[in-house]
Order: sequence, then structure tokens, then C-alpha cells
Amino acid sequence: MLEITNLTKSYGQALALNQVSMKLVEGEIFGLLGPNGAGKSTLIRIVNQIIEPNSGHIKFNNDLFRREHLKSIGYLPEERGLYRGMTVQEHGIFLGKLRGMNTKEAKNALEYWLDRFEISDWRKKRIEELSKGMAQKIQFIFTVLHEPKLIILDEPFSGFDPINVELIKKEIQSLKAQNRTILLSTHSMNSVEEICDRAMLLHQGKSILEGQVKELRKKNKDGMFTVRFEGIMLGFVNALWTGFEIVDTREFGNNRYEVDLKMMGDNTIDELMGVMIGQVKIEAIFEKLPGMQEVFISSIAAAQNPMIQ
Amino acid sequence: MREWRERVGSRVFILFSILGPLVVLTIMYILFAYGGKIAKKWNVLIADPVGIMENKIAARVDPNVTYSFADNYIETEEFANAKAYQEFDAMVEINEKVLGNKVGFVFYRQIPSKALEKTVQYQIERRLEEVLVKRFTKLSLLDFRKIKQPILLSFRSVYDPEDKSADKRAWVGMFFGALIFIFIALFAMTLMRSISREKSNRIVEVILASVKPTQLMLGKIIGVGLSAIVQCSIWIVVIAIGLSLMKSTLFPDYMAQNIDSAGNVISQTANDTDLMGNTGAYEYNEFVDLVFERVQFGPMLFVFALCLLGGYLFYSAIFSAVGASVGSESDGQQFVIPLVLLLCFGVYAGYYAMVNPDAPLTTWLYYLPFTAPSVVLVKFAQGFAPGEAYTLWLVGLILILSCVLFFYLAGRIYKNGILQFGHRLKLRHFFKWTKNN
Repeated sequence: MLEITNLTKSYGQALALNQVSMKLVEGEIFGLLGPNGAGKSTLIRIVNQIIEPNSGHIKFNNDLFRREHLKSIGYLPEERGLYRGMTVQEHGIFLGKLRGMNTKEAKNALEYWLDRFEISDWRKKRIEELSKGMAQKIQFIFTVLHEPKLIILDEPFSGFDPINVELIKKEIQSLKAQNRTILLSTHSMNSVEEICDRAMLLHQGKSILEGQVKELRKKNKDGMFTVRFEGIMLGFVNALWTGFEIVDTREFGNNRYEVDLKMMGDNTIDELMGVMIGQVKIEAIFEKLPGMQEVFISSIAAAQNPMIQ
Repeated sequence: MREWRERVGSRVFILFSILGPLVVLTIMYILFAYGGKIAKKWNVLIADPVGIMENKIAARVDPNVTYSFADNYIETEEFANAKAYQEFDAMVEINEKVLGNKVGFVFYRQIPSKALEKTVQYQIERRLEEVLVKRFTKLSLLDFRKIKQPILLSFRSVYDPEDKSADKRAWVGMFFGALIFIFIALFAMTLMRSISREKSNRIVEVILASVKPTQLMLGKIIGVGLSAIVQCSIWIVVIAIGLSLMKSTLFPDYMAQNIDSAGNVISQTANDTDLMGNTGAYEYNEFVDLVFERVQFGPMLFVFALCLLGGYLFYSAIFSAVGASVGSESDGQQFVIPLVLLLCFGVYAGYYAMVNPDAPLTTWLYYLPFTAPSVVLVKFAQGFAPGEAYTLWLVGLILILSCVLFFYLAGRIYKNGILQFGHRLKLRHFFKWTKNN
């Protein structure tokens, strides 16, 4: 759907993007991650033709990207803004028309989305009358109003309360179910784990990690296991030898515990089970994959100091 | 279109469109109606103990001044305080000395209007003149006045010997030139604020994801420009209708009145006072004459429209570039003062051109795109010497080329500056963004 090849952009001496390539497949949610100043917004602005790259190219549905393709893109920038004096309906029609809709289509689409979010009574409200959260919701609606094939969301959850974060997540997944492609730039790693199929991590304008979210987590696994058991904790601790390090424990009462362990050296799960059997009654044992938060931090740290790896 | 709708739909626009021309019409009405009228009727006591004036004054009864004569000396203190004199607004002391040294005084209680002052001055001077002629010459009064008439040496253009394009018309050009800069200031400022507001509330990023930066800039300039045209047209139509109604209903024979009835006093005085400076009545006559008789509004409005368009497009490029470059909305304020000064210079250039029509600097100001809109109008109002009218086309060409150049530069600054936030705007930013792609 979207193919970015060797994109480079510099602002004077500063290199904002350095030979970045990525490919978005139709119907997937792609997470664009990276610390502040990594080049995410620059990349997004280049895709939206707001700024031009120094080199590299973009293809949209196998065609070289042209301005006409912008009508197939919905863009929610990180810094939200609307014309405060306009009503929700006027604004929706205005932005819909900018993206190629006629007044009737824009009006109908707006009606559909306002009903869907159960906020139909906001139609005649002026933007300045809306709270920040309400305006954010409206802006999300304006982004998807024209049924874009590619939806670019830059920090879509910022400024929302937890209920609305869930609502927006649900909508993003619903859009994915309609075979829309979503490029999601966010610092919310939980959301990435929850809804992204694939992700790319940018650091100082370079792509340092890319792949399926699950694979990225697996790739970065660090020998953590969780054991749930019934028995005496002292017995459990005594049974372990130096090959395992207890990282965290949680007590559930009635001598039931959950322990996070880190496997040291070349020890295996079989060896772990071997030492525990007979000491405690094992209820569950599973490998604990690192969250995207850990993947993010360890990857950035490794990129900053290659010796860490 | 959105910009145009927002401007035209705003309450300020509607108010300014209606109230602006009404204020102008009201000022004109006041000038027409009261410019030459005397507000208060005066009661003047002439203390003439010797009987020099023989209890005579103007040939006709003046509706604005009533004269009474006293045949005794009256001290000013006595006149000021005595109950018997309280009904009089002023006292004139006439004695032999006045005839000798030709210096007299009018003592008033409340300062009179200029017109009233001139009326009393004229009537008393004329009467004393009669007395002097009778006492010291054998001439008839008519002959004396013929001799007495001062010789006026006027400077006139050899191309305009009848003085059709007099200085007064240059004032009209100056007025229209200033009007252009007022409109430019209003609308270019609106444009700058609109751009910086769009930038600071970040909607611009959404819009730029659909249109090119230069398209957005041009769209805004055209939108605001169209609203300026609408407002200007409303002003012109309302003022034209107002003037026409005034001419046909409120003041059907006003000019005639000035010559016939008041003319006895005012128009003749005009000749005398011309040397001393203008009187209110004289100005009034000129004003009416200027508005209804001398100005050729058709060609003037045509040139005005072209100059407004050229000036607006030129300055809008500068204001757009500044609006797009600011780091925050308040950041733009520091650039407002130099921009306003630039516009003031444009107005001053018009005045300079009017006062110094042939100065070399005027020629420069005529061609300089920053000042051309006002100077062109002044020059146009003054009239061109034969064979010089082509310079108008040259100025137009320079203005168009300057607009193209400034649009190009402003477009680059707009494109590079519109998504830069949080910086403190400095002049070097403009140069940097002109070069960056």
C-alpha cells in the first residue's frame, strides 16, 4: 500500500531522516515509534507532502506518490488545531471538501460518525465551545470522514481520558477490520502491544528496529519466566540454585504465589521444573516476553551505546 | 473561499462596511451644512462717540449680526461688567485714532467663530473704508476699491493654464492614496493575523496535507483581498449614494446660496482673506466645489481600484511572510510597528509628492512599489504633462513585477516558516527561509 524507500531529509546541517525505508501492507496497523526528535513527524510530513525529502521516494499502491493520492490519506497531526469560530458541521464539510468530498457526502459522513460516537448534538456547536477532549474526538472524526485508505495518526491518544482511549482504540481496530491501513505514531507502548501488527523504531533519523510486534518482543526476550505455585515460599527459594534469579514475587494468600524469575546462563525451563517438582505444587509456568516499553528502551540504549549489546 | 466567508461574515466587517461610509458621509454633511454657517447670532455694540460711522454699517441687514451704536466712550471694564451692556456680545471702539493708525479692536465676551469674526471684520472695515474715501479722496468708492485690489500673482502650469488640475485636486489624490493605505493596513494586518493564528492553533498542518503551502498563502491573500474589494465597493456605493442624495435633497441650491446671499459677505471676503490664510467659509466653498464639481470620480476610482489592488497584493506578500514566520502569535507584534511605519511612509510619500510634484525624490517614490499606490494617485489627480502618461504603465509594470518577485520570496518564506514553532523571530530567519527549500 505504502512503500517508502531510502528517504533522507536534512534541515541545514541536521539530518532528520537518514535512508529510511519501510513498507505498509493493506489492512495492517503499523506503529511508528521513537524518542522525541527521532524523525517521526518529519517522516509523516513527507508522506503527507507537507515537506519534501532531499532524496528517496514513496510509492502508493505501486504508483509513485502524487498529490492526488493525498485524498486517500487521513491525517491526524500530533498538534491538534481547528478553526475555533466554525461549527462542527461547517468544519467537517470544509475539511471533507478539501479531501475531495462534496457537501452532501461530507454531511452524511459526519452524521454517521457523530451518531457512532453518540455526539450528534455537537453538530451545531462551535469548536470554541468544545472541551479539549471533545475537540480531539471531533478531529479524529474529521480525519476518517472521507474514508481514507491510509490513516496516519500522530499520538491519537494524547489528551484523552482512559475511556476515550479505549473508544479510539476500538475505532482504529474497526477501521483495520475494514481493510484500512493505519500508520500509528505513539509513545504509548501498551497501545502498540495491543493494536499494532508491526512496528518500526526510529532513532536519530534512522530505522533501528522493524518487524512484527510479537517477533520484536520475542527477539528481545531476556530469559524471564513466571511461575505460579502453591506451597511454602521458603521451600521454593531454597530449591532454586544460583542459576535462577528471583526478580519479583506476588502473594495471593493461602500459600499461593506468583514469581518472576530470570534464567541465568544456559539454564533451561526443564531444569527449572526439575528443581521445583516436589518442593511446591506448580500451577503454571510460562516465558515472560518483554513489553514494547522494554524493547524500546533497550533498543535505544543499544543504539546509543553499541557496547551494551 | 473559507477565508472570504469568515471575513465577510464577521460582525466587525459588517459594522465597518456600514458604519465606515456613514461616518465619512456624516463628516461631509457637517462640512457642507455647518462649514460656512455662523452658529450664533451676534449682537455688536459700536462705541462711536465722534460719530465717524454716522450710525451706518452694511447696506443690507445681516441675519447673523446686529449692530447698535453708542455715542459715548465705553471703557472695556465698564462694558465687561455694566448691566446695561450685558446684552451685547462684543464692542467695537471707533475713534479718530482708528482712522489715523488704522488699528482697531473688537472686544468680545466669548470667542467668535472664524466665519463670524470675518463677517464683523469685513463689515466694519468696509464701512471705515467708505469714511476714509469720503474724507481723504475725491475718488468714487468703486474706483477706490479697484485701485485697492491687490495684485495676485498665481503660478500655473503651461499645460493647464486654466488651472483645471489645481492643487486642490492633488488633495483628492492624496485622500484616495491615504485611503488605499488604510485599507492595506486593515486587510494586510487581518491577513497576517489570520496566518499566524492558523499557524499557532496548528490547523495549518491539516490544511497543508491537502494543499500546497503557496496555494494556501495565495488562497488566503485572495480571500482577504476579495473581502477588501467587497468592503471598498460598499464604501464607494454608500458614499456615492449619500453624496448624490445630499446634492439633490439636503443641499439642492447650496452653492447658489453661497454666492447670492452669503456671497455678499463671504465670497468677497474670500479675496481678502486669501492673502492672510483660508477662512472656514472659504474652505467650505472649496470643499463643496471640490467634491461636486472638480473631481472626475470615474477615472479617479478606476486608478484607485488598480492602485489598491497592486498595493494590496504587494504588501500582502510581505505581511503573509511575516505571519508565517512568527514563532507565536505575540511574536508577530514586534514586527507590526516597522510594517505600520512602512505604510505610514507610503502615505507620507503621497503628501511629499503633492507638495513637491517635480522633485527628483518624487519620481523615485512614484516608481518605488512601496510608495507607488499613493504617489500615483496624487500624480494622476495633478494631471500628467503631454507625453508623460506612459509612465503610469511603467509604474504598473514595475508594481506587477515587484508583486511577482515578492510573491516568490514570500512563498518560500511561507513554505519554510509555517511549520516552525517556538522560535523568536529574527531577520536572519527571513533570509534563511528564502534560501532553504
